[in-house]
Amino acid sequence: MSRAPSNILDRPLGGRGRNSSTETAVSQSAFAYLYSELVQYHQSRVASISELERRLESSGYGIGLKVLELLSYRSRESKRETRLMNILQFVSANVWKSLFGKPADSLERSIDHADEFMIVDYEPLTSTYVSVPSDLGQLSVDSFLSGIVAGVLDGAGFSARVTAHSVTLEEGEAGYGSSNSSLPPRKDKAVFLVKFSPEVLKRDTGLER
Amino acid sequence: MSKSTAAANGHSLWQKMPKANAELFALTYGTLVTELVRDYESTEDINEQLEKMGYSIGVRCVDEFLAKADQAGMVIPPCRAFAETAEVLAKTGFRMFLGVSAEVQMISDSSFSLLIYENPLSLFVELPSDPKWKDIKYSNLYCGILRGSLEQVNLRVECTMVKDVLQGDDVNEIRVDLKEVLVDGAGEEYDEE
Repeated sequence: MSRAPSNILDRPLGGRGRNSSTETAVSQSAFAYLYSELVQYHQSRVASISELERRLESSGYGIGLKVLELLSYRSRESKRETRLMNILQFVSANVWKSLFGKPADSLERSIDHADEFMIVDYEPLTSTYVSVPSDLGQLSVDSFLSGIVAGVLDGAGFSARVTAHSVTLEEGEAGYGSSNSSLPPRKDKAVFLVKFSPEVLKRDTGLER
Repeated sequence: MSKSTAAANGHSLWQKMPKANAELFALTYGTLVTELVRDYESTEDINEQLEKMGYSIGVRCVDEFLAKADQAGMVIPPCRAFAETAEVLAKTGFRMFLGVSAEVQMISDSSFSLLIYENPLSLFVELPSDPKWKDIKYSNLYCGILRGSLEQVNLRVECTMVKDVLQGDDVNEIRVDLKEVLVDGAGEEYDEE
């Protein structure tokens, strides 16, 4: 016989525990297996690469919204970000740090387009354990992460289109060594291209003054 | 394999594994279940899909388990009794992948229950109180994982979620029943060649 479940809203949001790694972490393999099942599930239901990417993005979107709320609540900042550069800093530093244990490797602004920014990650968790067969050519499984980023940005009021791209590493880049040295070195880095909607840009330049 | 060795092995394998954020893990699983709920009508279908996915994970993770244990210099001897299998699963296997161990409750020589107090999959989750969701086994992935991994070591089992914290019980209980010990072999058709 079950007793009345305690109200979920009354439970602490601090995670399962605060300090020990056993309570706020699982192994990367566990995540990798789960993620591969998610990808396989979608793969069986779509007919094209871009549809698969779209589905992964929409899967990540919901997570992004929740992650934004969690992090905002935990950081106890009383003001929410209203400036473009600040929200991008939030995503590339705080969100990345909380989800992956380290801030994103770089945040760049595109030279050609004022509304495009790039977040670079040399070893995104989602594609570390995935190999894309040649018949799926340009598929980027990191679309899931771009969905998360899009969710965070949208939730914060900065609607943007985020896409994931695999860019081949140049000579000498990412020489600091990967955290998981038992895997063969990667040949490409993930670049998340963030393209903000025009009204966001307009609003931000308006706030400049 | 004694109980304390299984636990000690579990702990040291856990230390060696690269870690990922448990919340991301739980949120990803939540997304997966949400997609299933959207695509399937009945809760039996959803449960079945979760079990199938778990099966596919189980088949793969047992290799990783044995390989990593071997790499760490641990000896995981073939289990002499089903109870030993249960201990290794609960204390070493679960600990290594999820960071939490489960408790074993032997019911008979060929069946046991795994009790999971802290379920990494169901972080942040609450099931709606609609009676339609009474039958959903949110953590059914575990049942598939156990079935898949034990099949790779020649034990055919049936796993079911008996108690679920999300449904109001105080612990998650998975019942594992041994059905058959399989024999290695390619089957009778090959005997002729």
